[in-house]
Amino acid sequence: MKKYFVFPKKFDVIVIGAGHAGCEAALAAARTGAETLLLTQSLDSIARMSCNPSIGGVGKGQIVKELDILGGEMGRNADKAMLGCHMLNTSRGPAVRSPRAQCDKKLYQSEMKRTLEKQPGLMIMQDEAARIIPKGQKISMVETVRGTRYLTKTAVIASGTFLRGTIHIGLRSFRGGRYDDPAADLLSLSLEDLGIKTKRLKTGTPMRLNARSIDFSVCEEQLPDENPQPFSWRTPVITNKLLSCAITRTTASTAEIIRSSLDESPLYSGKIKSVGPRYCPSIEDKVVKFPHHLEHHIFLEPEGFDTNEYYVNGLSTSLPEHTQWDMVHSVKGLEKAEIIRPGYAIEYDYFDPQGLDYSLQSRILRGLFFAGQVNGTTGYEEAAAQGFMAGLNAAKFCKGEEPLILRRDEAYIGVMIDDLISSGVDEPYRMFTSRAEYRLMLRQDNADLRLAKYGFDSGLIPACHKETFLRYEEAAHAISAGFSFDLSNLPESGPWTGARALETGNIEKEYGVYIKRNQIEAEKMKRFVNLKIPDDFDYAGIISLSNEARQKLIKVRPGTIAQASHIPGLTPADIQLLWISIESLHNFKKKRP
Amino acid sequence: MSRCSYIIMILPDLKKTIIAPATPQGKGALAVIRMSGPEAFRIFAAISSRRFSCPAHKQVSLVKIKAGKTVLDEAIVVFFKGPNSYSGEDTVEISCHGSAYIVREILNAAISCGAVSAGPGEFTFRAFLNGKLDLSEAEAVNALISSDSAASHHAAITQTEGFLSAMVSGLKDKSVTLLAEIEARLDDSDGLIPEADLNYFSDISEQIRKEVLSASESFKAGRHIKEGLKIVFAGAPNSGKSSLMNAFLGYDRAIVSPMAGTTRDTLESSIEIKGLKICLTDTAGLDSSAGDSIEAEGMSRALSALRNADIVLLLKDSSEPESKADKLAAGKVKDSICEGTKIIKIFTKADLSKHKRKRNGIIVSSVTGEGIEELKNKITENYLSLSAESASAITSARHYEALSAAAKELKELSFLLKRRNSPLELAAEHLRAALNCFGLITGETAPDDVLAKIFSSFCVGK
Repeated sequence: MKKYFVFPKKFDVIVIGAGHAGCEAALAAARTGAETLLLTQSLDSIARMSCNPSIGGVGKGQIVKELDILGGEMGRNADKAMLGCHMLNTSRGPAVRSPRAQCDKKLYQSEMKRTLEKQPGLMIMQDEAARIIPKGQKISMVETVRGTRYLTKTAVIASGTFLRGTIHIGLRSFRGGRYDDPAADLLSLSLEDLGIKTKRLKTGTPMRLNARSIDFSVCEEQLPDENPQPFSWRTPVITNKLLSCAITRTTASTAEIIRSSLDESPLYSGKIKSVGPRYCPSIEDKVVKFPHHLEHHIFLEPEGFDTNEYYVNGLSTSLPEHTQWDMVHSVKGLEKAEIIRPGYAIEYDYFDPQGLDYSLQSRILRGLFFAGQVNGTTGYEEAAAQGFMAGLNAAKFCKGEEPLILRRDEAYIGVMIDDLISSGVDEPYRMFTSRAEYRLMLRQDNADLRLAKYGFDSGLIPACHKETFLRYEEAAHAISAGFSFDLSNLPESGPWTGARALETGNIEKEYGVYIKRNQIEAEKMKRFVNLKIPDDFDYAGIISLSNEARQKLIKVRPGTIAQASHIPGLTPADIQLLWISIESLHNFKKKRP
Repeated sequence: MSRCSYIIMILPDLKKTIIAPATPQGKGALAVIRMSGPEAFRIFAAISSRRFSCPAHKQVSLVKIKAGKTVLDEAIVVFFKGPNSYSGEDTVEISCHGSAYIVREILNAAISCGAVSAGPGEFTFRAFLNGKLDLSEAEAVNALISSDSAASHHAAITQTEGFLSAMVSGLKDKSVTLLAEIEARLDDSDGLIPEADLNYFSDISEQIRKEVLSASESFKAGRHIKEGLKIVFAGAPNSGKSSLMNAFLGYDRAIVSPMAGTTRDTLESSIEIKGLKICLTDTAGLDSSAGDSIEAEGMSRALSALRNADIVLLLKDSSEPESKADKLAAGKVKDSICEGTKIIKIFTKADLSKHKRKRNGIIVSSVTGEGIEELKNKITENYLSLSAESASAITSARHYEALSAAAKELKELSFLLKRRNSPLELAAEHLRAALNCFGLITGETAPDDVLAKIFSSFCVGK
């Protein structure tokens, strides 16, 4: 018997993992012409929403809109599966206004699975990647647990929380990548063998309830928006019937129950050592850190049209099962509620994103890309956006094209990737609008004006839409500049209507002074963005650079002066020195063709 | 949020016109101030008697420099048209009298007309960016900047900078706390945080602004740290001013650096007493009967010296009874000095005085040295005890600019917060801008600093 089955076809891109990052990576690669293979442990778990049943939110909604106009799938898929929708922050200004949709989890999965299955150039295989086999400094093969070897030019690791995942419920713990799925241990070991260091993070999820046992009559109803706005430019209108959510509160006795059982909490007993997200705290964290809050809001959210399962937003926990029962019963309206899945915490491996370049490619092994939770982020949207960028850039890498790297003044996606690579992570990274210094420019209403050019360039947005879009763009710019514009040339329906041009143009007009200020700063940055630092740049050659700065630069290896300027701990003098050295280098090259 | 502050800080904004002294402070009879940038000629016209027009390249003129209507100095000015200047931009070089006071006032006047003070090595840096330096010269810029940064590193660890940075850090912390309050609401996906109390926010913003203003006011108070404590000798003619000054200098001749004003009748010298830099100015006798224009000019310079003095030594000849001239001099001093200036009465020529009467002041003799030590103690007593406090004063024009800009942003912020219907995200823009200004002094505020504040103050996230 042959020890290995070497698959007869050579791939351009192999995507490992079919979560939110993996699906986008596979689609972006295949759609830009790369021969692509998607490996997943289980076909039935494609695009699972392992935690909350919603897409979007403040900052995240902007990411989904950006991803959509670049040619990603998440927005359209969320539109198809939508069962509830809210425009958040409507009173705090157009830049922080963000869409969020509740989704039918099963529908989300099946729609995404179908999209993948229909995609030409994309092969899907249910198997678990076990080993990355390099040839020199480049990736050459991916080997699976079944012993199949796939030859490839590139691979995208998008394995989420599965690498050496450990699940905690109370003081019991067991291996697992998600509650009902096995962890993947071999891939982590293989990457460590290649010299890629792993670190640990923690996250968690609340229990699910059977709606039959919830007393909705004492809860506050949260109605969906009347005019649901689709995420995607390709979705003409949302036709799904929309459901309400319910709001209730914990009580003093909830806090008491939690406090008295902290000795059985893996978080507080010291069993979990890794860091979890501060902004997505477990209920035990909230009770301990904010003892003066007598009650905490709980949002009850339906998980689908065809199920009675409800997500208990606000009760994320890793307390033991018996405490979870007591806790749930202490909440108003949940006195008789039946838990059908317990909440749990999970610890998993991630890789320091500072080991990547700005195209999300490993600096250690060329051709190997990383996306999603393996880079230390959290959230479906953050993962999907990285997956898209990694898949697109892997395909570009195969073709010998320059990668797409978005600037901080262009997109939240640019902010996120820049943050990850310049600063690394020490807790799960989630997007906030406060992370964006050009916040007023990065709005959900102008994602297309900012990024459609890249969608058209890559061909992911069909060229036939270009003319309509350009007319829309012209109208929006004219209105923002204060000119009147004949909107009758614009379509009455679809993404690029006169009404939308008027809306976005007016925001830009009203915010003119502020946006101008943002633009001036961004313009200054651009000069640095265009000033590329060669990958093999010799930092030892800048003699006056402080040793600390040199170490940091060697570690991060910024791609541009702009990126260097974001590395924490570098002084203006360091950047200035670097800048001059790079300018000299460029001048030198120019003079000697 | 203020991620870009380093870049903004180090990146010459070539649209701005920069100004800085080109000669070391207080080291010569003449000082050269250089101004470079697209607005150089316009700004120069605004601070001079010169009409704004495009001067010829390398044109040399004798021009009066003004702050508003006050003439600061008469200076030799050379105009260079870009790109044929050192920096490659329109450049004005002003050769004025080498007093730190005049240099500072000229800089202030230009800054108030739109110039900004140049960063370390910025003229050279601009020259480089404008293609005026070749590769080998660019290497020299490297060295220059590193030496500049070494110097500023040294400055950063001195007490003065330490105090300033601690003070600004305090202001920054308050601003970060307020920003966290605002950002927490902007990033609140679940509507869990109660609506902001805008009046309260506005009060806090006003409070921070007032502190920023008082800090920037201390710019004036703190100047003696760099420029020295200004001591003016005043008194009737022949009251012994010059002798006393010589007696003062005689003791410490080794560390004296005289800066004689060649065309003026005030004589300046500097001396170090107990580590404190002291600028001594000898004035012409305060005599109202001055007839010709030269004497009138001397008088006006004496009055101007009095206006800027920290301490005035009012001299009286103790060997003579009080004369009309003495009374006149005392009156002039009282009328001319600013609030806060200290007057020390000195009775000179003790060696000639026949009656050793008790006097309300210090009795000195320039001949025997009697009383000189007592006078030195008297001069330094307040300032040595004050030095820790006044060290927190800002001493550089760059810091002053940063704080003024921050105050301006905070003013806009309070205004917006008071206007009920303005979106909170705009308020955040002003506060972020103010933090960027503080960042120019203390280093940037990372978005994570704000997030940390949010997570420790608000129970956010579901």
